Amino acid sequence: MDTIVQVRHLTKEFRVLHRRSGKWGAWNDFFHPQYRTIRAVDGISFDIQPGELIGYIGPNGAGKSTTIKMLTGLLVPTGGEILVKGMIPWKDRRKYVANIGVVFGQRRTLWWDLPVIDSLEVLKAIYRIPDPLFKHNLGMFRKILDLDSFLESPVRSLSLGQRMRAELCAAFLHNPALLFLDEPTIGLDVVAKERIREFIRHLHREGTTILLTTHDLTDVERLCERVMVLDWGKILYDGNLQELTSRFEGVNEMRVSFAENGEDGLLEGLEPPVREGRYYVYRIDPRKVSIPDLVSSLYRTHPVVDLEIRKPKLEDTIRKIYENKSLNTPD
Amino acid sequence: MIYSIKILWLLLKTQIRSQTQYRLSFLADVFTTAIFSSIYFLAFALILQRFETVAGWTLGEIAFLVGMTETSFAFMDLLFSGFDPDSFSPMVRMGSLDQFMVRPVSLTIQVLGSRLILRRMGRVLEGLAVLAFGIVTTQPDWTWLKTFYLPVVLVCQVICMGSIFMMGSTITFWTVERIEAVNILTYGGNELMSYPMNIYPRWLLFIFTYFVPFIFVNFYPTLYFLDKPDPLNFPVFAPFLTPLVAIGMALAAYWFWGYGLRHYQSTGT
Repeated sequence: MDTIVQVRHLTKEFRVLHRRSGKWGAWNDFFHPQYRTIRAVDGISFDIQPGELIGYIGPNGAGKSTTIKMLTGLLVPTGGEILVKGMIPWKDRRKYVANIGVVFGQRRTLWWDLPVIDSLEVLKAIYRIPDPLFKHNLGMFRKILDLDSFLESPVRSLSLGQRMRAELCAAFLHNPALLFLDEPTIGLDVVAKERIREFIRHLHREGTTILLTTHDLTDVERLCERVMVLDWGKILYDGNLQELTSRFEGVNEMRVSFAENGEDGLLEGLEPPVREGRYYVYRIDPRKVSIPDLVSSLYRTHPVVDLEIRKPKLEDTIRKIYENKSLNTPD
Repeated sequence: MIYSIKILWLLLKTQIRSQTQYRLSFLADVFTTAIFSSIYFLAFALILQRFETVAGWTLGEIAFLVGMTETSFAFMDLLFSGFDPDSFSPMVRMGSLDQFMVRPVSLTIQVLGSRLILRRMGRVLEGLAVLAFGIVTTQPDWTWLKTFYLPVVLVCQVICMGSIFMMGSTITFWTVERIEAVNILTYGGNELMSYPMNIYPRWLLFIFTYFVPFIFVNFYPTLYFLDKPDPLNFPVFAPFLTPLVAIGMALAAYWFWGYGLRHYQSTGT
């Protein structure tokens, strides 16, 4: 299949006013402003194949939103190229955006004072959605996103979770081949998040290409096969999610409690444990120690009451990537 | 083009529907707006009665001037609600404009369709009432040309003031906050055009003739409608410059707006 998104050496620089302090700071800023150049996105390249669902993650200020804004045609890059379905996003904006769907979790697309259904009707006209397709999509989304209870209410009276569901429906009404979701689950409760993930999963199964920006790594764990990790405007990792956890020495945690409390808990081949109440907590590197062997020998030699193995959290892995940026510098 | 107009109409229609949902409250709103905006002219009329004329203009003649600008300014304020710098600046700040940009519709259409404050109809009605009063009391000599030219002038005034609104909003791409100075031209311009221009000092006249040519937008056409002599000795075609001024200002506004959008696309906020 043809690559749907092609990004090459994409760079975006912003010129920001350098504020000076001191008695005359504000005066000087006004009359002799000094500018500093900030490189929000620093020469990134990647490809997206049709049907991929990609998690695009990074800390605040990493350049995620700037990338999304360039991909959706809101911003013109300082350098590099973007080609989406053979189009350059910021040129011929109107033709391009008819082909994509965008949801900004922090912003609203729907008309504030209108009932949701009216907003959707307006979008139907804007995207020239044929009647049967509109009916079909709306029917489907009503079910998956559970829109029925607030379809007639004005957007301003909806809860955050309801609004987000309506926004998702609005962004996908015209069946775009490519969907950009920028923090779609921000500020939502667990149930609402799960419903939205269900919807994303549904779209993915239908073959939509989705780029998902999020702070919630659970979103990524549950949904994405491929992740791109961004920091300081550079891609630190781009690849398979499982590989990511194994590559960055996933340290497992083994928590054991013994029948006899007098144990010192020292085990051969392991670092001395840390005590947490009744539990002895060991750090285990699965590449050095075989966990099944360790567990069975432990049961043989010690009076074990309780034993639990904890896998590394994606969060810790990601933090490790941020801390050791040199570990994996893309070519 | 037809598509754009269709979308604009659809956007406006939904706005109208939501604003007229409660009919009585809507009508009360319109009525209050009409009363509120007439107070100013009524006070002015009371004072003027003591002097009879201002710079050779009677109350009825001034009512004609005021009625023209009030009607067109109010209509502009209604139609260009979206481009009102007061509401446009939050749009830039809060990122609503980004939302418009990801939709396949012209941004001008979307901004125009984003807001329509229907109760401003009240001020249009007030303006028309004042204009009617002006016409009845002055009894101008109506010719076919005048009858045809009156609505043309009104439309041109709407375009001129709308262009100023649009330019004022465009500035917020750079400043983010709205700029008070723009109000000098919009609200101030409306005010300024409500009086006979010959009462102003020379330097002000100079500005409003050659830089922001408001003098040809209301004052000269009114001289023509009322067959009054020109106190400033401009050529006889001066009253007919209104459409040219309107076209010029609209083009300037449209160009500046496009320039602002390109700037916005390269810097964001």
